[in-house]
Amino acid sequence: MRKPIATLVAVVLTAGVAVLAGCSKSAPEAAAPAESGAPSAPEKKTFVIGMSQCNLGEPWRVQMNKDIEEAAKAHDTLKVVFKDAQNDTLVQQNHVREFMNQGADLLIISPREAAPLTGPVAEAYKKGIPVIVLDRALLGEDFTMFIGADNRLIGEAAGKWVREKLNGQGKIVELMGLQTSVPGHDRHDGFVKGLGDAAIETIFSADMKWLQPDAQREMESALARFPKIDLVYGHNDPGAYGAYLAAKAAGREKEMLFVGIDGLPHEGRVYVEKGILSVTFEYPTGGREAVEYALKILAGEQVPRNVVLPSRFFTPENLAAGGELIGGSDAPAAAAP
Amino acid sequence: MIKRSQRLAALLEMPFTRALIALLVILALGVLFNADGTFFRWDTHRDMLRHISRFGILACGMTIVIIAGGIDLSVGSVLGLTAVVSAKLSIHMGLSAWVAVPLCCLLGIACGALAGALIARFSIQPFIATLALMVFARGAAKFISGGKKISQGVETPEGFQYLDFPQLYEFLNAKILGDNVAVVTLVFLLCVGVSWLLLARLRPGRHLYAIGGNESAALLSGVPVGMAKVLAYAMSGLFASLAGICQAAQETQGDPEAGVSYELTAIAIVVIGGTSLSGGRGGILLTLLGTLTIGYLEKILSINAVGEAGRLMLTGAIIVSAVLFQRGRK
Repeated sequence: MRKPIATLVAVVLTAGVAVLAGCSKSAPEAAAPAESGAPSAPEKKTFVIGMSQCNLGEPWRVQMNKDIEEAAKAHDTLKVVFKDAQNDTLVQQNHVREFMNQGADLLIISPREAAPLTGPVAEAYKKGIPVIVLDRALLGEDFTMFIGADNRLIGEAAGKWVREKLNGQGKIVELMGLQTSVPGHDRHDGFVKGLGDAAIETIFSADMKWLQPDAQREMESALARFPKIDLVYGHNDPGAYGAYLAAKAAGREKEMLFVGIDGLPHEGRVYVEKGILSVTFEYPTGGREAVEYALKILAGEQVPRNVVLPSRFFTPENLAAGGELIGGSDAPAAAAP
Repeated sequence: MIKRSQRLAALLEMPFTRALIALLVILALGVLFNADGTFFRWDTHRDMLRHISRFGILACGMTIVIIAGGIDLSVGSVLGLTAVVSAKLSIHMGLSAWVAVPLCCLLGIACGALAGALIARFSIQPFIATLALMVFARGAAKFISGGKKISQGVETPEGFQYLDFPQLYEFLNAKILGDNVAVVTLVFLLCVGVSWLLLARLRPGRHLYAIGGNESAALLSGVPVGMAKVLAYAMSGLFASLAGICQAAQETQGDPEAGVSYELTAIAIVVIGGTSLSGGRGGILLTLLGTLTIGYLEKILSINAVGEAGRLMLTGAIIVSAVLFQRGRK
């Protein structure tokens, strides 16, 4: 009995060390510029940006990290160290402290929750480390800037689009993300506002917890109950895609339109390109913008406190041109009909 | 006259009858709240069966493990891992089903056998060993997929390319017998059949009951306890991998997050059926009834568009009532 246990422990430890060695390749470099202190140092210095992501289980957040990584790659003065809090607020609090101790020059944080992270971020900010808050805001004033998109505006744009597309009347199904979540609420409220006084009736609405299999099940129920459905509004693209799969299984996918939100390049936009979704509304990650503002902050420039990201929508017609801004007025090249 | 009432009382004492009554109560609820007649249409039932099949497949493996006095918390993660691997093999590499399915099954069996070996050889408690595997397999799923869903769209420098939808997934998604039964439901029934054969007809099955009833007694009577345990967990891993393939087929992609908390639904199904969590008692037909009970409960809540809060509370209340009802017998 002794020997096998010893062998097992040895194997596990070796594997663990190997994995750690693989992951920490960048760590020594990352910690190196710690002693050089203030971010206002002269050119050619490498700045270390600490990025704390609240949960990499969501594709949208994977995309946010990817956007930051790609934007930072273009600048050889930037080095980004990524951490994933795996949906644990306390782990994320530790991230902030770790970055502080490792002497990061700037923090980007996409917080899981506002209240518990406000304290640690304020601590870092007061020590002179600039902090960019992404997607979810923190309480108070102790951070450099907030960058995020507005779910209510996006929901409203979706509502207006649906109203126009259905000529102001029809029967629709709404598959909601999570009624108890802020994005779910905002995407619903905005949508209702966008529909306005149109004779569009929501005949079935259910929670699908942002999950495709759940959306599929709820849509099956809607299809079984209602002989005619004009449109399905999913609070995210996987939800709208799940609804499409259910309709296709019932042979009814041609009868209705599918509308989604998020517009990730490898998800929603692919569904639009394949003609599955009629439209998807981008919920921008702000990753690229965060890096742009980080450069300005590190160069000592002034930045706005609050940036609301513009959102685009993608239809089969405008996809190739890179989508169209919602609101439409200052849309780029894609403005042509 | 007395004899007949005694026989009826004895019948009511049987776990099978109790599980059947629980299912009938749920069905009665469906008749009562039929959502404008939706409940009386066959599509509703077919879709319910299709949706619950993956959970039922997991519950088959869970039943085998629980009867042997163990528990398997890793099934949800192994499902996620095999869903990713299956999508990689079938969609990205374009392997035929004859290669991809056995490879995925081998992966599931290896996962289960590993947990079984840790439990049998190193006397690690099942809860801990399978908890470790649950965490590890989820990590492996995220590692292999790179944190992204494995789907038909592949990013290349020139934009997105679309790969063919594998025939295997097409087949699993199909409905046969005049569009009346989903293929995944048949996979589920096949798993029920295999489990029934093992538990009720074959010698290793009797060993599992013996181990779950009293492990030391089983050991003293010459039951190969270690081998039987490895077999139980390997079967659970195998079923989890089959469920993973079905999951990928139904989602048309391999999602590394698939199957989170599915193990809890599988355990609920087994317990509602009447298989004892302390091991040694129960059977696969009970699990079949438990699967239908949970499936119909979900479906009835869904067609009536009951809100999430109400669903969670009702499901909790019904699980407790069903288990209390099962325990009500002497």
